Amino acid sequence: MLKKILFISLALFMMTGTAWARTIVFATDATWPPMEFVDANKQTVGFAVDYMTAAGKEAGFTPVFKSVAWDGIFAGLGAGKYDAICSSVSITEKRKKVMDFSEPYFTVRQALVVRNESNAKSLDALKGKRVGTQISTTGTFAVKRVKGVISKTYDEIGLAIEDLFNGRIEGVVCDDPVAAQYALTNEKYKKTLKISSIIKTAEAEYYGIAVKKGNKEVLDLVNKGIRAVKAKGLDKPILKKWIGQ
Amino acid sequence: MSEKPVTIEISDGAAIPRRKDKGLVSAWRLAFFSALVIFTCLLIFKREPYLRIIKFLPDGILVTFEVTIASISLASIIGLFTGLGRISRNRYINLIASTYVEVVRGIPLLVQLFYLYYALGRFVRIPDIAAAVIAMSVCYGAYMGEVFRAGIESIDRGQTEAALSLGFNRTQTMFYVILPQAWRTILPPVGNEFIALLKDTSLVSILAVSDLLRRGREFASESFFYFETYTMIAIIYLLITLLLSKFVGIMEERLGRYEQR
Repeated sequence: MLKKILFISLALFMMTGTAWARTIVFATDATWPPMEFVDANKQTVGFAVDYMTAAGKEAGFTPVFKSVAWDGIFAGLGAGKYDAICSSVSITEKRKKVMDFSEPYFTVRQALVVRNESNAKSLDALKGKRVGTQISTTGTFAVKRVKGVISKTYDEIGLAIEDLFNGRIEGVVCDDPVAAQYALTNEKYKKTLKISSIIKTAEAEYYGIAVKKGNKEVLDLVNKGIRAVKAKGLDKPILKKWIGQ
Repeated sequence: MSEKPVTIEISDGAAIPRRKDKGLVSAWRLAFFSALVIFTCLLIFKREPYLRIIKFLPDGILVTFEVTIASISLASIIGLFTGLGRISRNRYINLIASTYVEVVRGIPLLVQLFYLYYALGRFVRIPDIAAAVIAMSVCYGAYMGEVFRAGIESIDRGQTEAALSLGFNRTQTMFYVILPQAWRTILPPVGNEFIALLKDTSLVSILAVSDLLRRGREFASESFFYFETYTMIAIIYLLITLLLSKFVGIMEERLGRYEQR
């Protein structure tokens, strides 16, 4: 009897719980440490996950993270398979034409990672060499802007780093926190790899949450959360925890 | 010999056009010409974005061809030796060939590609296209080996006995008597393997080899024209596969000429 009462009250609690808070399904390509990645317990964790959870608490939504391969992540948003993308998407003019972005929640630059013995100080020094990136990231665009550098695109940034480690390519371009994670803190790679330079683009890039064009309801909720997190300074401990600054 | 010629049927891959499908409307023609019509219509009536897509792809098609042709050649050689090894009387050769077939056929091609490229990348630094070709031909060599074995075994034992009684040794019997006859039986399934191999080259895109599929994916995820790009990719693969199957069909007819009276 006691068990039954407990069970019913638990069920009731869960039902009311979901009725209060709207669930927003975020697609995330969890191969981008430290922003979002899968930890040893098979949980999606990282800076973006903590940030959105905090934002959800402020704005009253429950974030659910769904693992989606980067390659098809924008197609899935267009097809309505999830509400939003939270996967270190840099806000670019081209992307803005097909989707709407929330307020920026993080600032990055593109970093060039090379092996320790390399003395390439910029992408220009790698003309005629192969440079890896994750397919269709802002890193790829940066590599393609430099004439003469051979662009190789990988499904995941980790595979590009491994190929750099194994010596098949001469450099990898990715967002700077990701570069730092691999080249400075990762036990396996930090002895062999280094960040050679930050690529000078006209301006810094900002990560935003992407939603389907015209989906104002989700966009407003997410924006409300991000604003509240920024205003209350809730991002400071999250930054300290994942990025270490 | 009064019996019907022995044929072995293995059907994966596209159907190879046969002599009896000579009518005006055959599956092959229907598929090929509809694909061709859709292809040209898209290019003429919807230049944007299809023309842009088609301009982006040529080097990818070239890589796909390179990988296919190199893998087919290598896989045929591996396949021939595996097939001979499988029917060898030498216990050790037989065991090695059989184990190779068992192991390779038991591992998915995708896993083999990952293994050769990323797992073994630590010890041997194989360039990407070479890695793709090696993995494809090692995998298909095993499948082809089985085809060769089946083809050789389908030749009547009397042929071997006759050749041996005429003073041929075993190697001569194999190369002068058995293989020339087995070739006709082997060709259709080998053609099927070729076509299956061509389609499976799309898997090498995971090794960051910029083949047709990878180029398409790069284009799609940058321009967001998913539907258009993958439609184009599918049509191009279909056209290439159908052309190849036609070619195999013609080859088969040439070799089978003596049987048609």
